[in-house]
Amino acid sequence: MAERVFARKMEKVGFADVWIGEKIPYGIHDAALYPLFTPELIRLMERLIPPDRQGSVAIAVIAKARKP
Amino acid sequence: MSEDLLYQTEVKAAVQAAYSAIGSGGGEPVARRLYTEEQLAGLPAAAIAWALGVGNPVLHAELRPGETVLDLGSGGGVDTILAAREVGPTGRAIGIDLLDEMVERARGHAREAGVEHWTEFRRGEMEDIPLPEASVDVVISNGVINLSPRKSRVLAEIHRVLRPGGRMCVADLTVEDDLPPEVLTSDAAWAG
Repeated sequence: MAERVFARKMEKVGFADVWIGEKIPYGIHDAALYPLFTPELIRLMERLIPPDRQGSVAIAVIAKARKP
Repeated sequence: MSEDLLYQTEVKAAVQAAYSAIGSGGGEPVARRLYTEEQLAGLPAAAIAWALGVGNPVLHAELRPGETVLDLGSGGGVDTILAAREVGPTGRAIGIDLLDEMVERARGHAREAGVEHWTEFRRGEMEDIPLPEASVDVVISNGVINLSPRKSRVLAEIHRVLRPGGRMCVADLTVEDDLPPEVLTSDAAWAG
């Protein structure tokens, strides 16, 4: 889910003061620390994702919002 | 009968199977990246071993003593325990997880951390939170909402259980560029 989609979904259900920040790149080497990402998937990502994108396949964010 | 065109059942089953299959979380390498030394101090080693988050929602949630906090997808209970320490015995920390074994595990970790008297763990789904309307001050979660095939439904449920003026503070992954279809269609990618 893209950041703008996440923010829009929060607003759509009624949240106010939506804020998305911190935004830390999450790369294949980060994913490899988690047992949920199988070695096969890690190898698949290393093979299919261009090297210049492998350090940031996703962004780890903090999302905050308030119920009015 | 309606057809599950978005494969929600399959996605949910894949996520559940992936979490049931693992024997531990990311452990210290993950925990040390996410949490402060102060937070890690006093956390049971077994809870740290089950760290599976992607951020540190408790650090950003500005929790106050006496508040009721809900941790959606509480897993091994790390963030619930950290939240319980912030709200203290006059508050309440509730962890909800899809898996019975995670709920049991987290209960043990909370006991070990000494926060069990104001902390509880329940089995439940984030798309159908087993709590009454307007019963919670703060909702946190850590790398969990992205696992749901019904993210809007999850957000609507968070909104429902929050009291007016309540807040959500979640850590999660966003993806801005398309990933290769072989990766996107992998069960492990959904679960991770």
